[in-house]
Amino acid sequence: MPRASIIITTHNRPHTLPRAIASAFAAGADVEVIVVDDASSDETSRICRSIPEIKYVRLDRNQGVAGARNVGLVASSGEFISFLDDDDVRLRHSLDEQIAILQRSPEAMFCYAQAIPDDQSGNQSPPFPAVCSSGDIFWELLARNFIPCGGVVFRRACLTRTGLPDASIPGIDDWDIWIRIAELFPTVCLQAPVMIWRQATPTSAQGSSNTVELISLGAKQFRTRWRKLPRVTAAARQRRQKAWRAFSENVVEHLAWETFRGLCEARPGRALAGARTLLRLHPSALLVLLRRWTRAVTIITLITSNRTAEDLANAKIRLKQIRSDVPRQ
Amino acid sequence: MPRISVIIPTHNRPHLLIRAIESARAAATDVEIIVVDDASTDNTAEVCGQLAGIKHVRVERNQGVAGARNIGIFESSAQYIAFLDDDDLRAPGSLDLQADVLDRDPGAGFVCGAMIMADQDYQATGEIIRPRHISGDAFWSLLELDFPVMPLCALIRKECFLRVGLLDRNISSIDDWDMFTRIAELYPVTTIQEAVGIYRQPTPSSAQGSSARAAQLQLAARHQLKLLRLPRVAGVPLKERRLIRKRTINRVCDHLIWNAGKNHLPAGKLRPAAANIAVALKLDPLIPLRPSEYQKVARKLSERFRGFSNL
Repeated sequence: MPRASIIITTHNRPHTLPRAIASAFAAGADVEVIVVDDASSDETSRICRSIPEIKYVRLDRNQGVAGARNVGLVASSGEFISFLDDDDVRLRHSLDEQIAILQRSPEAMFCYAQAIPDDQSGNQSPPFPAVCSSGDIFWELLARNFIPCGGVVFRRACLTRTGLPDASIPGIDDWDIWIRIAELFPTVCLQAPVMIWRQATPTSAQGSSNTVELISLGAKQFRTRWRKLPRVTAAARQRRQKAWRAFSENVVEHLAWETFRGLCEARPGRALAGARTLLRLHPSALLVLLRRWTRAVTIITLITSNRTAEDLANAKIRLKQIRSDVPRQ
Repeated sequence: MPRISVIIPTHNRPHLLIRAIESARAAATDVEIIVVDDASTDNTAEVCGQLAGIKHVRVERNQGVAGARNIGIFESSAQYIAFLDDDDLRAPGSLDLQADVLDRDPGAGFVCGAMIMADQDYQATGEIIRPRHISGDAFWSLLELDFPVMPLCALIRKECFLRVGLLDRNISSIDDWDMFTRIAELYPVTTIQEAVGIYRQPTPSSAQGSSARAAQLQLAARHQLKLLRLPRVAGVPLKERRLIRKRTINRVCDHLIWNAGKNHLPAGKLRPAAANIAVALKLDPLIPLRPSEYQKVARKLSERFRGFSNL
């Protein structure tokens, strides 16, 4: 039985998949690579069948990324498990390093690490998240998802205690499962990049409309599920309020950013979608915005960027680093 | 590697669980019993710890039956999978019998058998529900809610889940119907007429049980719209799809009105009766205009009263 399983979910991306598979094999010794083909309609299946080393699972009906991950979990047999997207790249030996860390701390259930964001033209940004914190990260994680999904290695045993990822929330299923694991178990981390993380191109409209949808989904999940986790309901009122404030500020900021970008790129539809979701989720958002966006650093960054799509994306990353990556006290 | 995995989700019922486990053990020679303790708050964990030869999985946060079944599938290592509720029983030798059928028919996705109805004390009521004799394509019947399959009497090939995905946690109470339909879309189905399971019926007097049934049917009617988007359905002409939908709605409404007319109204239980009729009206607002429905109710009622006069 292999020691570790890397589960790669793929849908119609045969051009990047072989690279992801090769990187997965190079990431660790004694690793089994499971490719879950989520009902691709192109030559993905032919390419996968030509690689005999992998365990190829073909879903005949599209399940979404979360459902496909669950199927991969059923097909896997390793004690340590990691997910990888079909356009990401695992760095050499990174899996072994993370497993070694997990083995040193038997009470921890998952080990996360940094990822190097990479836009599709080959420009790489500094590793994200800038600072990894370990131990009890439950409350931090409730506020925002700072864990790159492909950089996580977790023990098989923890899923039987928390339940499998929720297939009904594709896109934020990883955030949800990290929260559920972090609620019960301590976390360890590796302060080093373990993967290259392909970002959606800043100009693709699809990426952004997705962002707005994902944020609404996240907000709904917070209200209906996360807020009702036993650890949250048992916490002091102040603690709960703080968690909600941190979460909603993060949501407001993302949505305001989407709206602003829509305006700059003269796409009223996108701006409107952002603004509408913003006001629906958070009627008092304007106050939060006034407080945060009037800081000097924000204004300077926004003015110095010359409002093309790429500059905006860079400005956003810069702002993110200035603000949220430094753990708030 | 064991031949069959029996997955038993349980929640706070250790006194019933032991019996279910024993029945599963007697149902097959080479069986792996996986008890998924879905965040029980009583001594279930203790009871499971004392039992030898089972795989006990403890989930810390309640996942619902479908979520617990998924965890069972994740933990299983056998080629065939059976689901067993903690209050139901498997008939002796039944799993071996069904596994032999699947061995002989390697294309089939699952095999279902007959079910013995029992009361709360596991005493057979004399009623046996046999599956309609379908061999091969059961997809259309399942889609139209015309082929009832209980998870209790089915044995499923594990490989099916790798092609159609796992159970849907968000439609608890009809997750099994959804799963069987999605499997039957791709795989042929076989049936056997031997009794394979003993179903412990909820007490007929519990009002909660009956309005839950109305809610379940309503959910099924709504979820069918999603199933109608499966590739195999999308391939048939629109007219045909509309007919499928119409037949299903009729079937569901008949069932609801029959339930209200036969079980609730004569017993004087107005609330569940109203719940049933309300759901029927929601699904098909024109029901009051259909004389056949009145006839059906009248017939049921007259049967009932004839029963009384015999007393």
